[in-house]
Amino acid sequence: MKAMIVDDEPLARRELGRLLAEFAWIDIVAEAANVGEAAPLIEKLLPELLFLDIQMPGGTGFDLLERLEHLPRVVFTTAYDKHAVRAFEVNALDYLLKPIEPERLAAAVARAQAAATSTPSASATSATILERLFVRDGDRCWFVPLREVKLFTAEGNYVRLSWDKTHPLLGRPLASLEARLDPRQFFRANRQQVINLEYIESVDPGVNGLLHVQLRGGPEVQISRRQARLFRRLSSI
Amino acid sequence: MDASSHAVTRPRASRSYWLCQLGGWGLYCVAEAGLATKILHLPLGRTLLELAVYSALGMALTHMLRGLVRRRAWARLPLRALAPRILGTALLLSLPVAAVTNYLSIAALWVPDQLDLVNLHIPSAMIHQARGLILVLDVQALFTVWAVLYLTITSLRDQRSAALRQSELTRALHVAELRLLKSQLNPHFLFNSLNSVRALIADDPAGAQKAITQLARTLRYTLTAGREELVTLARELEIVEDYLALESLRFGERLRIERDLAPEAMGVRVPVMLLQTVVENAIKHGIAELPAGGDLRIVAALRGGTLHIDVENTRPEKTERIFRSEGEGVGLDNAAERLRLLFGAKANLDLDLSRVEVAVARIRIPDTA
Repeated sequence: MKAMIVDDEPLARRELGRLLAEFAWIDIVAEAANVGEAAPLIEKLLPELLFLDIQMPGGTGFDLLERLEHLPRVVFTTAYDKHAVRAFEVNALDYLLKPIEPERLAAAVARAQAAATSTPSASATSATILERLFVRDGDRCWFVPLREVKLFTAEGNYVRLSWDKTHPLLGRPLASLEARLDPRQFFRANRQQVINLEYIESVDPGVNGLLHVQLRGGPEVQISRRQARLFRRLSSI
Repeated sequence: MDASSHAVTRPRASRSYWLCQLGGWGLYCVAEAGLATKILHLPLGRTLLELAVYSALGMALTHMLRGLVRRRAWARLPLRALAPRILGTALLLSLPVAAVTNYLSIAALWVPDQLDLVNLHIPSAMIHQARGLILVLDVQALFTVWAVLYLTITSLRDQRSAALRQSELTRALHVAELRLLKSQLNPHFLFNSLNSVRALIADDPAGAQKAITQLARTLRYTLTAGREELVTLARELEIVEDYLALESLRFGERLRIERDLAPEAMGVRVPVMLLQTVVENAIKHGIAELPAGGDLRIVAALRGGTLHIDVENTRPEKTERIFRSEGEGVGLDNAAERLRLLFGAKANLDLDLSRVEVAVARIRIPDTA
């Protein structure tokens, strides 16, 4: 399993590397000291596991995750950060407190391994299609599996996700996100919205060639005239 | 606190004081009115009118007595000094009351006409004086009772509020001490340092041993900082150096330190943990925020009997607005307040953020040696 360590302190990276040497199947492919260094390395090397410090110069670990297209499984590390630890606990994220206890590290690594065998590895699928996104909205944060998002709604330069009763806001424009969504599963309904085809309950024709799509558990979305033609063509296939 | 400032801090006359005055004199009037009508068979209207005059006079004079008690702070006199003062003043105040009462019919309450003064072998020429003396002594006794009651009630109340103030003060002090200790312990630094030491143990055992010693010294200094307010700059710098050595372990080449310390400044006594706090602040908001690291510069000089310490750090590239909101100087507010309490206007600490690339904390402390 390819892993990467992101921490601004050289000794902290060295110590974690030494602890991880116990696990022969973990291969540390790179280390980075800050968000700016880490982001391109992650996109290039596509690690499956990321050990990520929170407090770093030039941006926190959370900031890094929000920027990533390829999202590995993440184990957060922090020495002392009441705020971050609260976020980890509220959102059931995997984290380790420095100095890291070997037993806790073993448990975290075992969880990562179990997760990797149950779901296909991220690097095995096409790198151009997004599978998961890290989303932070105020104090809450989520790793959102995109195939569970039923609707994306543009709000200016942000996107509102409709996912599992929550509606977190993602800090990037809909256009850039749409390019990375699986076209077999997601469809641009109108200028503001992209729908998940798997969540369509019913489709009703409207006036002027519009289509009304009812999503499971609401809401109703209108497909614009131009897109409706495309939609009919796709669904007839 | 002297008596005058005591009077200033409290309202001139409280509601409860006036309630006691009116209530006390009212009860006194009711009792005397009862006696006057039952025993002396005086008409009620006249009795009440005379008692009103009598108690109004009494109230006015006891209010003057109160003024005297407060101005001269009688509450703090020993009984030995207090007793003659009370008796003397009561006697003095009773003279006008007795003079007026002498012309009232209720005077008979205290000096009954039935009293056979002749049979007491008092010469008839002196009967008038004897009657006056009895009146004076009666009123003096009344004023004495008033003064004793007043002093008892107020001293009980003052004792209670003083105890309350004392406990509030103690609590505030404890809270402040705890906050200081917590802020000085800096858990983020502590746990990161422990992590560094752990990393060193395998690769550099000698370095790990040194780091443990430095960490122990830093912690001990922090924990005992409350015991003495002032230490020499040389002593404070020892701990700053231990701290910087540990931070250098963490930050590696990102932390570049420059020192310019005048030897003659080393003996000046400075508040314990003050420079340490300022240096920590510079690291937290400077070097720790810079991916490529930055410079820390500590300059100490003695000029014209004043110690000048400047702590400079490279600033992260952020706009002024974001910078301020993240509280670059908040950590220094407590330190500045402490300096002001210890030295007054002669010492100060301010953070100069006028330059984009460098933040400078300037400390000025008078050489008290």
